[in-house]
Amino acid sequence: MRTRLLLGALGVAVATYGGWLLLQEDLSDLVDTAVWLAGGVVLHDFVLVPLTLLLGLALVRLLPANLRAPVAGGLVVLGTVTLMAVPVLGGWGANADNPTILDRNYPVGWLVVAGVTMLVVVVTIVLRAGGRSGGPGARGR
Amino acid sequence: MTALKTPPIPEQRDFPSRLHHPRVAARVGAWLGICFFIAFATGLISHLAQQPDSWLPSRPVWGYRLTQGLHVAAGTACVPLLLVKLWTVYPRFWIRPPRPSRELLLHVAERTSVGVLVAAAIFQLATGLANVTTWYPWSFSFRSTHFAVAWVVIGALVVHIAVKLPVVREALAAPVDQDEPPGDGLSRRGLVRSAGIASAAAVLLTVGGTVPWLRKVSVFSVRSGNGPQDLPVNKSARAAGVTATATDPAYRLDVVYADQSLSLTRADLLAMPQTAAGLPIACVEGWSAHGDWSGVRLRDLLDLVGAPRGSAVTVSSLQQHGAFRATHLPAQFADDDLTLLALGLGGEALSIDHGYPARLIAPNRPGVLQTKWVSRLEVQA
Repeated sequence: MRTRLLLGALGVAVATYGGWLLLQEDLSDLVDTAVWLAGGVVLHDFVLVPLTLLLGLALVRLLPANLRAPVAGGLVVLGTVTLMAVPVLGGWGANADNPTILDRNYPVGWLVVAGVTMLVVVVTIVLRAGGRSGGPGARGR
Repeated sequence: MTALKTPPIPEQRDFPSRLHHPRVAARVGAWLGICFFIAFATGLISHLAQQPDSWLPSRPVWGYRLTQGLHVAAGTACVPLLLVKLWTVYPRFWIRPPRPSRELLLHVAERTSVGVLVAAAIFQLATGLANVTTWYPWSFSFRSTHFAVAWVVIGALVVHIAVKLPVVREALAAPVDQDEPPGDGLSRRGLVRSAGIASAAAVLLTVGGTVPWLRKVSVFSVRSGNGPQDLPVNKSARAAGVTATATDPAYRLDVVYADQSLSLTRADLLAMPQTAAGLPIACVEGWSAHGDWSGVRLRDLLDLVGAPRGSAVTVSSLQQHGAFRATHLPAQFADDDLTLLALGLGGEALSIDHGYPARLIAPNRPGVLQTKWVSRLEVQA
Protein backbone atom coordinates (compact mmCIF):
# COMPACT_ATOMS: atom_id res chain seq x y z
CA MET A 1 0.00 0.00 0.00
CA ARG A 2 2.83 2.39 0.86
CA THR A 3 4.51 1.70 -2.47
CA ARG A 4 1.25 2.44 -4.25
CA LEU A 5 0.76 5.71 -2.38
CA LEU A 6 4.30 6.81 -3.18
CA LEU A 7 3.83 5.82 -6.82
CA GLY A 8 0.54 7.72 -6.95
CA ALA A 9 2.14 10.84 -5.43
CA LEU A 10 5.01 10.63 -7.93
CA GLY A 11 2.52 10.35 -10.79
CA VAL A 12 0.55 13.37 -9.60
CA ALA A 13 3.77 15.40 -9.33
CA VAL A 14 4.92 14.45 -12.83
CA ALA A 15 1.51 15.17 -14.39
CA THR A 16 1.33 18.50 -12.54
CA TYR A 17 4.70 19.45 -14.00
CA GLY A 18 3.26 18.72 -17.46
CA GLY A 19 0.23 20.86 -16.68
CA TRP A 20 2.49 23.69 -15.53
CA LEU A 21 4.47 23.43 -18.77
CA LEU A 22 1.20 23.65 -20.73
CA LEU A 23 0.18 26.79 -18.84
CA GLN A 24 3.28 28.57 -20.20
CA GLU A 25 1.54 28.69 -23.60
CA ASP A 26 -0.39 31.69 -24.92
CA LEU A 27 -4.10 31.64 -24.16
CA SER A 28 -5.14 31.01 -27.79
CA ASP A 29 -2.73 28.07 -28.08
CA LEU A 30 -3.95 26.75 -24.75
CA VAL A 31 -7.55 26.84 -25.98
CA ASP A 32 -6.53 25.00 -29.15
CA THR A 33 -4.69 22.40 -27.06
CA ALA A 34 -7.76 21.94 -24.84
CA VAL A 35 -9.96 21.50 -27.92
CA TRP A 36 -7.62 18.78 -29.21
CA LEU A 37 -7.38 17.09 -25.82
CA ALA A 38 -11.17 16.98 -25.40
CA GLY A 39 -11.86 16.33 -29.09
CA GLY A 40 -9.87 13.10 -29.10
CA VAL A 41 -11.82 11.69 -26.16
CA VAL A 42 -15.19 12.76 -27.58
CA LEU A 43 -14.43 11.29 -31.01
CA HIS A 44 -13.20 8.07 -29.45
CA ASP A 45 -15.84 7.54 -26.77
CA PHE A 46 -18.91 8.76 -28.61
CA VAL A 47 -18.16 7.97 -32.25
CA LEU A 48 -15.47 5.33 -32.65
CA VAL A 49 -16.45 2.95 -29.85
CA PRO A 50 -20.22 3.00 -30.62
CA LEU A 51 -19.39 2.30 -34.28
CA THR A 52 -17.16 -0.60 -33.22
CA LEU A 53 -19.89 -1.98 -30.96
CA LEU A 54 -22.42 -1.77 -33.82
CA LEU A 55 -19.98 -3.52 -36.12
CA GLY A 56 -19.52 -6.27 -33.51
CA LEU A 57 -23.29 -6.66 -33.26
CA ALA A 58 -23.56 -6.88 -37.05
CA LEU A 59 -20.87 -9.60 -37.10
CA VAL A 60 -22.78 -11.67 -34.56
CA ARG A 61 -26.05 -11.28 -36.50
CA LEU A 62 -24.73 -11.79 -40.02
CA LEU A 63 -21.84 -14.26 -39.82
CA PRO A 64 -22.05 -17.98 -39.17
CA ALA A 65 -20.45 -18.89 -35.84
CA ASN A 66 -17.33 -20.52 -37.30
CA LEU A 67 -16.34 -17.36 -39.22
CA ARG A 68 -16.77 -14.82 -36.42
CA ALA A 69 -13.45 -15.17 -34.61
CA PRO A 70 -11.12 -14.99 -37.65
CA VAL A 71 -13.13 -12.13 -39.20
CA ALA A 72 -13.16 -10.19 -35.92
CA GLY A 73 -9.41 -10.68 -35.52
CA GLY A 74 -8.82 -9.48 -39.08
CA LEU A 75 -10.98 -6.41 -38.49
CA VAL A 76 -9.09 -5.54 -35.29
CA VAL A 77 -5.83 -5.54 -37.25
CA LEU A 78 -7.09 -3.78 -40.37
CA GLY A 79 -9.21 -1.24 -38.47
CA THR A 80 -6.53 -0.11 -36.04
CA VAL A 81 -3.79 -0.03 -38.69
CA THR A 82 -6.06 2.00 -40.98
CA LEU A 83 -6.69 4.57 -38.23
CA MET A 84 -2.93 4.77 -37.67
CA ALA A 85 -2.48 5.44 -41.41
CA VAL A 86 -5.11 8.23 -41.67
CA PRO A 87 -2.51 11.07 -41.91
CA VAL A 88 -0.59 9.39 -44.77
CA LEU A 89 -3.79 8.27 -46.54
CA GLY A 90 -5.16 11.81 -46.33
CA GLY A 91 -1.83 13.26 -47.43
CA TRP A 92 -2.57 16.68 -45.89
CA GLY A 93 1.10 17.20 -45.08
CA ALA A 94 2.16 16.95 -48.74
CA ASN A 95 4.29 19.81 -49.92
CA ALA A 96 4.49 20.96 -53.55
CA ASP A 97 8.14 22.04 -53.31
CA ASN A 98 9.29 18.86 -51.56
CA PRO A 99 8.47 15.67 -53.50
CA THR A 100 10.46 13.52 -51.03
CA ILE A 101 7.66 13.59 -48.44
CA LEU A 102 4.52 11.45 -48.69
CA ASP A 103 5.96 10.04 -51.91
CA ARG A 104 4.26 6.66 -51.98
CA ASN A 105 0.94 5.50 -53.38
CA TYR A 106 -0.74 5.06 -50.02
CA PRO A 107 -4.23 4.00 -51.23
CA VAL A 108 -2.64 1.12 -53.18
CA GLY A 109 -0.61 0.31 -50.06
CA TRP A 110 -3.83 0.14 -48.06
CA LEU A 111 -5.39 -2.21 -50.63
CA VAL A 112 -2.35 -4.49 -50.31
CA VAL A 113 -2.63 -4.47 -46.50
CA ALA A 114 -6.38 -5.17 -46.72
CA GLY A 115 -5.76 -7.97 -49.24
CA VAL A 116 -3.09 -9.64 -47.11
CA THR A 117 -5.32 -9.38 -44.02
CA MET A 118 -8.25 -10.96 -45.91
CA LEU A 119 -5.99 -13.72 -47.19
CA VAL A 120 -4.80 -14.56 -43.67
CA VAL A 121 -8.42 -14.58 -42.43
CA VAL A 122 -9.53 -16.91 -45.24
CA VAL A 123 -6.57 -19.26 -44.69
CA THR A 124 -7.36 -19.35 -40.95
CA ILE A 125 -10.99 -20.22 -41.67
CA VAL A 126 -10.02 -22.99 -44.10
CA LEU A 127 -7.42 -24.44 -41.71
CA ARG A 128 -9.90 -24.43 -38.84
CA ALA A 129 -12.58 -26.11 -40.95
CA GLY A 130 -10.05 -28.74 -42.06
CA GLY A 131 -8.99 -29.28 -38.46
CA ARG A 132 -12.59 -29.80 -37.36
CA SER A 133 -13.54 -32.40 -39.97
CA GLY A 134 -10.13 -34.00 -40.16
CA GLY A 135 -10.61 -37.43 -38.59
CA PRO A 136 -9.92 -38.67 -35.08
CA GLY A 137 -6.93 -36.37 -34.43
CA ALA A 138 -9.01 -33.25 -35.04
CA ARG A 139 -9.46 -30.87 -32.13
CA GLY A 140 -13.01 -29.72 -31.63
CA ARG A 141 -13.56 -26.16 -30.53
CA MET B 1 -50.77 10.79 -21.93
CA THR B 2 -47.82 8.66 -22.87
CA ALA B 3 -44.39 9.69 -21.73
CA LEU B 4 -41.72 9.97 -24.39
CA LYS B 5 -39.37 7.04 -24.00
CA THR B 6 -35.77 8.10 -23.76
CA PRO B 7 -33.21 5.41 -24.57
CA PRO B 8 -31.82 4.08 -21.28
CA ILE B 9 -28.29 5.03 -20.32
CA PRO B 10 -26.22 1.88 -20.68
CA GLU B 11 -24.71 0.23 -17.65
CA GLN B 12 -21.64 -1.93 -17.33
CA ARG B 13 -23.73 -5.11 -17.43
CA ASP B 14 -25.11 -4.09 -20.85
CA PHE B 15 -21.76 -5.12 -22.36
CA PRO B 16 -21.77 -8.87 -21.82
CA SER B 17 -18.86 -9.80 -24.12
CA ARG B 18 -16.33 -12.03 -22.39
CA LEU B 19 -13.60 -9.87 -23.90
CA HIS B 20 -14.27 -6.95 -21.53
CA HIS B 21 -12.11 -8.54 -18.85
CA PRO B 22 -9.17 -7.43 -16.66
CA ARG B 23 -7.07 -10.38 -17.93
CA VAL B 24 -7.27 -8.89 -21.43
CA ALA B 25 -6.89 -5.27 -20.28
CA ALA B 26 -3.85 -6.06 -18.12
CA ARG B 27 -2.00 -7.83 -20.94
CA VAL B 28 -2.67 -5.25 -23.63
CA GLY B 29 -2.13 -2.51 -21.04
CA ALA B 30 1.27 -3.86 -20.02
CA TRP B 31 2.54 -3.66 -23.62
CA LEU B 32 0.95 -0.27 -24.05
CA GLY B 33 2.65 0.98 -20.89
CA ILE B 34 6.04 -0.30 -22.07
CA CYS B 35 5.63 1.45 -25.45
CA PHE B 36 4.60 4.72 -23.77
CA PHE B 37 7.63 4.61 -21.47
CA ILE B 38 9.96 3.96 -24.43
CA ALA B 39 8.40 6.88 -26.31
CA PHE B 40 8.74 9.09 -23.23
CA ALA B 41 12.39 8.23 -22.57
CA THR B 42 13.45 8.65 -26.20
CA GLY B 43 11.35 11.83 -26.42
CA LEU B 44 13.28 13.27 -23.46
CA ILE B 45 16.55 12.48 -25.25
CA SER B 46 15.28 14.28 -28.35
CA HIS B 47 14.21 17.26 -26.26
CA LEU B 48 17.65 17.44 -24.62
CA ALA B 49 19.37 17.07 -27.99
CA GLN B 50 17.50 20.12 -29.26
CA GLN B 51 18.52 22.36 -26.37
CA PRO B 52 21.02 24.95 -27.63
CA ASP B 53 23.43 24.07 -24.82
CA SER B 54 22.85 20.31 -25.02
CA TRP B 55 25.39 18.28 -23.02
CA LEU B 56 24.63 15.07 -24.91
CA PRO B 57 27.78 13.47 -26.39
CA SER B 58 28.58 13.49 -30.11
CA ARG B 59 28.88 9.70 -30.11
CA PRO B 60 27.72 7.13 -30.98
CA VAL B 61 27.29 8.47 -34.49
CA TRP B 62 23.97 6.62 -34.87
CA GLY B 63 22.65 7.55 -31.41
CA TYR B 64 19.94 10.01 -32.39
CA ARG B 65 19.00 7.90 -35.40
CA LEU B 66 18.27 5.01 -33.04
CA THR B 67 16.50 6.92 -30.27
CA GLN B 68 14.28 8.99 -32.55
CA GLY B 69 13.48 5.98 -34.73
CA LEU B 70 12.46 4.15 -31.54
CA HIS B 71 10.44 7.16 -30.40
CA VAL B 72 8.25 7.19 -33.50
CA ALA B 73 8.08 3.37 -33.75
CA ALA B 74 7.01 3.02 -30.11
CA GLY B 75 4.36 5.72 -30.53
CA THR B 76 3.09 4.01 -33.69
CA ALA B 77 2.95 0.67 -31.87
CA CYS B 78 0.77 2.33 -29.22
CA VAL B 79 -2.07 3.10 -31.66
CA PRO B 80 -3.58 -0.42 -32.01
CA LEU B 81 -2.76 -1.24 -28.37
CA LEU B 82 -4.49 1.91 -27.06
CA LEU B 83 -7.58 1.34 -29.23
CA VAL B 84 -7.95 -2.29 -28.11
CA LYS B 85 -7.23 -1.41 -24.48
CA LEU B 86 -9.84 1.35 -24.41
CA TRP B 87 -12.39 -0.88 -26.12
CA THR B 88 -11.78 -3.61 -23.56
CA VAL B 89 -12.41 -1.33 -20.58
CA TYR B 90 -15.13 0.75 -22.27
CA PRO B 91 -18.03 -0.69 -20.18
CA ARG B 92 -16.36 0.79 -17.09
CA PHE B 93 -17.13 4.20 -18.60
CA TRP B 94 -20.79 3.54 -17.71
CA ILE B 95 -20.22 2.52 -14.08
CA ARG B 96 -22.60 4.44 -11.84
CA PRO B 97 -20.87 6.51 -9.17
CA PRO B 98 -21.44 5.30 -5.60
CA ARG B 99 -23.68 7.23 -3.19
CA PRO B 100 -22.08 10.29 -1.57
CA SER B 101 -19.42 8.93 0.75
CA ARG B 102 -15.69 8.54 1.01
CA GLU B 103 -15.94 6.05 -1.87
CA LEU B 104 -17.50 8.71 -4.08
CA LEU B 105 -14.49 10.95 -3.56
CA LEU B 106 -12.09 8.15 -4.47
CA HIS B 107 -14.30 7.25 -7.42
CA VAL B 108 -14.26 10.81 -8.76
CA ALA B 109 -10.48 11.05 -8.23
CA GLU B 110 -9.85 7.82 -10.11
CA ARG B 111 -12.21 8.72 -12.95
CA THR B 112 -10.49 12.09 -13.27
CA SER B 113 -7.04 10.50 -13.47
CA VAL B 114 -8.25 8.02 -16.11
CA GLY B 115 -9.91 10.84 -18.06
CA VAL B 116 -6.68 12.84 -18.06
CA LEU B 117 -4.71 9.75 -19.09
CA VAL B 118 -7.03 8.89 -21.99
CA ALA B 119 -7.24 12.47 -23.28
CA ALA B 120 -3.47 12.98 -23.07
CA ALA B 121 -2.67 9.57 -24.59
CA ILE B 122 -4.96 10.10 -27.61
CA PHE B 123 -3.55 13.64 -27.97
CA GLN B 124 0.05 12.42 -28.04
CA LEU B 125 -0.60 9.72 -30.62
CA ALA B 126 -2.77 11.93 -32.85
CA THR B 127 -0.41 14.92 -32.84
CA GLY B 128 2.63 12.67 -33.22
CA LEU B 129 1.18 10.84 -36.23
CA ALA B 130 0.22 14.14 -37.89
CA ASN B 131 3.61 15.72 -37.18
CA VAL B 132 5.43 12.78 -38.77
CA THR B 133 3.71 13.70 -42.06
CA THR B 134 4.48 17.44 -41.49
CA TRP B 135 0.75 18.12 -41.17
CA TYR B 136 -0.07 20.73 -38.53
CA PRO B 137 -3.85 21.23 -38.29
CA TRP B 138 -3.53 23.29 -35.08
CA SER B 139 -2.17 26.63 -33.91
CA PHE B 140 -0.03 25.55 -30.94
CA SER B 141 3.67 24.77 -31.19
CA PHE B 142 3.96 21.03 -31.76
CA ARG B 143 7.27 20.62 -30.00
CA SER B 144 6.52 22.38 -26.70
CA THR B 145 2.94 21.06 -26.48
CA HIS B 146 3.86 17.45 -27.30
CA PHE B 147 6.61 17.76 -24.68
CA ALA B 148 4.29 19.16 -21.98
CA VAL B 149 1.52 16.62 -22.61
CA ALA B 150 4.13 13.82 -22.50
CA TRP B 151 4.68 14.63 -18.80
CA VAL B 152 0.92 14.60 -18.27
CA VAL B 153 0.58 11.16 -19.92
CA ILE B 154 3.44 9.61 -17.99
CA GLY B 155 2.28 11.12 -14.68
CA ALA B 156 -1.30 9.95 -15.22
CA LEU B 157 0.00 6.54 -16.32
CA VAL B 158 2.03 6.16 -13.10
CA VAL B 159 -1.08 7.11 -11.08
CA HIS B 160 -3.12 4.57 -13.08
CA ILE B 161 -0.54 1.83 -12.39
CA ALA B 162 -0.56 2.71 -8.67
CA VAL B 163 -4.37 2.48 -8.55
CA LYS B 164 -4.64 -0.71 -10.59
CA LEU B 165 -1.61 -2.62 -9.25
CA PRO B 166 -3.62 -5.26 -7.29
CA VAL B 167 -6.00 -5.82 -10.24
CA VAL B 168 -3.08 -6.10 -12.67
CA ARG B 169 -1.20 -8.52 -10.41
CA GLU B 170 -4.21 -10.77 -10.09
CA ALA B 171 -5.05 -10.56 -13.80
CA LEU B 172 -1.52 -11.42 -14.91
CA ALA B 173 -1.15 -14.27 -12.39
CA ALA B 174 -3.81 -16.38 -14.17
CA PRO B 175 -3.81 -17.50 -17.82
CA VAL B 176 -5.82 -15.13 -20.00
CA ASP B 177 -8.44 -17.82 -20.76
CA GLN B 178 -8.96 -19.04 -17.19
CA ASP B 179 -12.71 -19.23 -16.37
CA GLU B 180 -13.49 -17.86 -19.86
CA PRO B 181 -17.13 -18.45 -20.80
CA PRO B 182 -17.44 -20.53 -23.98
CA GLY B 183 -18.49 -18.78 -27.16
CA ASP B 184 -18.14 -18.64 -30.94
CA GLY B 185 -16.64 -15.19 -31.38
CA LEU B 186 -13.11 -13.96 -30.77
CA SER B 187 -11.58 -15.42 -27.63
CA ARG B 188 -9.65 -13.42 -25.06
CA ARG B 189 -6.42 -14.95 -26.29
CA GLY B 190 -7.50 -14.14 -29.84
CA LEU B 191 -8.07 -10.48 -28.98
CA VAL B 192 -4.72 -10.11 -27.20
CA ARG B 193 -2.98 -11.76 -30.18
CA SER B 194 -4.81 -9.57 -32.68
CA ALA B 195 -3.73 -6.46 -30.75
CA GLY B 196 -0.13 -7.67 -30.76
CA ILE B 197 -0.21 -8.48 -34.47
CA ALA B 198 -1.81 -5.11 -35.27
CA SER B 199 0.83 -3.30 -33.23
CA ALA B 200 3.70 -5.15 -34.91
CA ALA B 201 2.10 -4.55 -38.31
CA ALA B 202 1.75 -0.82 -37.61
CA VAL B 203 5.49 -0.64 -36.91
CA LEU B 204 6.53 -2.78 -39.90
CA LEU B 205 4.32 -0.76 -42.24
CA THR B 206 5.93 2.56 -41.22
CA VAL B 207 9.46 1.91 -40.00
CA GLY B 208 10.99 1.69 -43.51
CA GLY B 209 11.61 5.42 -43.31
CA THR B 210 14.46 4.67 -40.93
CA VAL B 211 15.23 0.96 -41.55
CA PRO B 212 16.24 0.86 -45.24
CA TRP B 213 15.80 -2.91 -45.78
CA LEU B 214 12.13 -2.62 -44.76
CA ARG B 215 11.38 0.13 -47.30
CA LYS B 216 9.50 -2.20 -49.65
CA VAL B 217 7.31 -3.52 -46.82
CA SER B 218 6.56 -0.15 -45.26
CA VAL B 219 3.69 0.92 -47.50
CA PHE B 220 2.62 3.59 -44.97
CA SER B 221 6.09 5.08 -44.46
CA VAL B 222 6.05 8.86 -44.88
CA ARG B 223 9.32 8.71 -46.83
CA SER B 224 10.20 6.21 -49.53
CA GLY B 225 13.86 7.09 -49.00
CA ASN B 226 14.16 8.60 -52.47
CA GLY B 227 15.34 12.13 -53.02
CA PRO B 228 18.10 14.13 -54.64
CA GLN B 229 21.37 12.18 -54.22
CA ASP B 230 19.33 9.31 -52.71
CA LEU B 231 18.48 11.26 -49.59
CA PRO B 232 15.08 12.71 -48.59
CA VAL B 233 14.75 16.44 -47.91
CA ASN B 234 12.95 18.14 -45.04
CA LYS B 235 13.00 21.74 -46.21
CA SER B 236 13.63 22.55 -49.84
CA ALA B 237 15.75 25.49 -50.99
CA ARG B 238 12.61 27.08 -52.44
CA ALA B 239 10.69 26.76 -49.16
CA ALA B 240 13.65 28.28 -47.33
CA GLY B 241 13.82 31.12 -49.90
CA VAL B 242 17.52 30.63 -50.62
CA THR B 243 17.46 29.58 -54.30
CA ALA B 244 19.00 32.88 -55.44
CA THR B 245 21.48 33.49 -52.59
CA ALA B 246 22.75 29.90 -52.53
CA THR B 247 23.71 30.00 -56.23
CA ASP B 248 25.01 33.60 -56.20
CA PRO B 249 28.74 33.71 -57.18
CA ALA B 250 29.11 36.38 -54.48
CA TYR B 251 28.51 33.68 -51.82
CA ARG B 252 31.04 33.83 -48.99
CA LEU B 253 31.38 31.84 -45.80
CA ASP B 254 32.32 34.09 -42.90
CA VAL B 255 34.26 32.50 -40.05
CA VAL B 256 34.45 34.78 -37.02
CA TYR B 257 36.21 34.52 -33.67
CA ALA B 258 36.51 37.65 -31.51
CA ASP B 259 38.34 40.17 -33.73
CA GLN B 260 39.55 37.48 -36.17
CA SER B 261 37.51 36.88 -39.27
CA LEU B 262 37.78 35.16 -42.63
CA SER B 263 35.67 35.29 -45.73
CA LEU B 264 35.89 32.17 -47.93
CA THR B 265 34.43 31.26 -51.31
CA ARG B 266 33.28 27.72 -52.07
CA ALA B 267 36.43 27.33 -54.18
CA ASP B 268 38.55 28.34 -51.14
CA LEU B 269 36.77 25.67 -49.10
CA LEU B 270 37.31 23.03 -51.80
CA ALA B 271 41.01 23.92 -51.86
CA MET B 272 41.35 23.03 -48.16
CA PRO B 273 42.06 19.42 -47.01
CA GLN B 274 38.89 17.39 -47.59
CA THR B 275 37.54 14.85 -45.10
CA ALA B 276 35.00 12.09 -45.82
CA ALA B 277 32.44 11.02 -43.24
CA GLY B 278 29.57 8.52 -43.41
CA LEU B 279 26.92 10.09 -41.21
CA PRO B 280 23.16 9.71 -40.96
CA ILE B 281 20.64 12.48 -41.32
CA ALA B 282 18.21 11.63 -38.53
CA CYS B 283 15.15 13.80 -38.51
CA VAL B 284 12.92 14.59 -35.52
CA GLU B 285 10.03 13.25 -37.62
CA GLY B 286 11.59 9.81 -37.24
CA TRP B 287 12.99 9.17 -40.71
CA SER B 288 16.70 8.79 -41.19
CA ALA B 289 19.13 7.93 -43.95
CA HIS B 290 22.85 7.40 -44.34
CA GLY B 291 24.90 9.85 -46.38
CA ASP B 292 28.52 9.77 -47.54
CA TRP B 293 29.58 13.35 -47.01
CA SER B 294 32.78 15.15 -47.93
CA GLY B 295 33.99 18.58 -46.96
CA VAL B 296 36.13 20.57 -44.59
CA ARG B 297 36.46 19.46 -40.99
CA LEU B 298 34.71 22.14 -38.94
CA ARG B 299 37.56 22.17 -36.44
CA ASP B 300 40.04 23.01 -39.24
CA LEU B 301 38.00 26.12 -40.04
CA LEU B 302 37.91 27.14 -36.39
CA ASP B 303 41.70 26.70 -36.24
CA LEU B 304 42.08 29.21 -39.09
CA VAL B 305 40.69 31.98 -36.86
CA GLY B 306 42.57 30.71 -33.79
CA ALA B 307 39.52 29.57 -31.84
CA PRO B 308 40.53 27.39 -28.86
CA ARG B 309 39.14 23.85 -28.50
CA GLY B 310 36.09 23.66 -26.29
CA SER B 311 34.38 26.58 -28.04
CA ALA B 312 30.74 26.48 -29.07
CA VAL B 313 29.78 27.87 -32.48
CA THR B 314 26.73 29.69 -33.81
CA VAL B 315 25.98 28.38 -37.31
CA SER B 316 23.89 30.73 -39.47
CA SER B 317 22.13 29.95 -42.71
CA LEU B 318 21.39 32.02 -45.81
CA GLN B 319 17.78 31.35 -44.83
CA GLN B 320 16.18 34.60 -43.64
CA HIS B 321 13.22 33.17 -41.70
CA GLY B 322 12.34 30.11 -39.67
CA ALA B 323 13.22 28.72 -36.27
CA PHE B 324 16.33 26.93 -37.49
CA ARG B 325 17.99 29.66 -39.57
CA ALA B 326 20.70 29.80 -36.91
CA THR B 327 21.70 26.97 -34.59
CA HIS B 328 23.99 26.68 -31.62
CA LEU B 329 26.62 23.95 -31.95
CA PRO B 330 27.94 22.89 -28.53
CA ALA B 331 31.70 22.43 -28.15
CA GLN B 332 31.67 18.61 -28.05
CA PHE B 333 30.20 18.63 -31.59
CA ALA B 334 32.39 21.46 -32.88
CA ASP B 335 35.50 19.56 -31.73
CA ASP B 336 34.43 16.16 -33.10
CA ASP B 337 36.63 14.99 -36.00
CA LEU B 338 33.54 13.83 -37.90
CA THR B 339 31.79 17.20 -37.82
CA LEU B 340 32.07 18.66 -41.29
CA LEU B 341 31.15 21.69 -43.23
CA ALA B 342 30.01 19.42 -46.04
CA LEU B 343 30.47 20.43 -49.69
CA GLY B 344 29.69 17.11 -51.35
CA LEU B 345 27.35 14.15 -50.95
CA GLY B 346 27.72 10.72 -52.54
CA GLY B 347 30.74 11.83 -54.57
CA GLU B 348 28.95 14.82 -56.14
CA ALA B 349 28.62 18.48 -55.24
CA LEU B 350 25.89 18.94 -52.63
CA SER B 351 22.49 19.45 -54.27
CA ILE B 352 20.83 22.75 -53.47
CA ASP B 353 18.06 21.04 -51.48
CA HIS B 354 20.73 19.40 -49.32
CA GLY B 355 22.36 22.73 -48.55
CA TYR B 356 24.62 23.83 -51.45
CA PRO B 357 27.04 25.57 -51.27
CA ALA B 358 27.88 24.23 -47.78
CA ARG B 359 26.08 22.61 -44.89
CA LEU B 360 26.80 21.41 -41.39
CA ILE B 361 26.81 17.68 -40.73
CA ALA B 362 27.67 16.39 -37.25
CA PRO B 363 27.33 12.97 -35.63
CA ASN B 364 24.47 12.16 -33.21
CA ARG B 365 22.50 15.37 -33.91
CA PRO B 366 18.83 15.94 -34.78
CA GLY B 367 18.44 16.71 -38.49
CA VAL B 368 16.82 20.12 -37.90
CA LEU B 369 20.08 21.26 -36.31
CA GLN B 370 22.22 20.18 -39.28
CA THR B 371 22.10 23.68 -40.72
CA LYS B 372 21.97 23.95 -44.52
CA TRP B 373 23.18 26.81 -46.79
CA VAL B 374 25.67 27.88 -44.10
CA SER B 375 26.79 31.50 -44.45
CA ARG B 376 28.48 32.21 -41.13
CA LEU B 377 30.31 30.40 -38.35
CA GLU B 378 30.70 32.52 -35.25
CA VAL B 379 32.75 31.12 -32.41
CA GLN B 380 31.28 31.93 -29.01
CA ALA B 381 33.82 33.59 -26.77
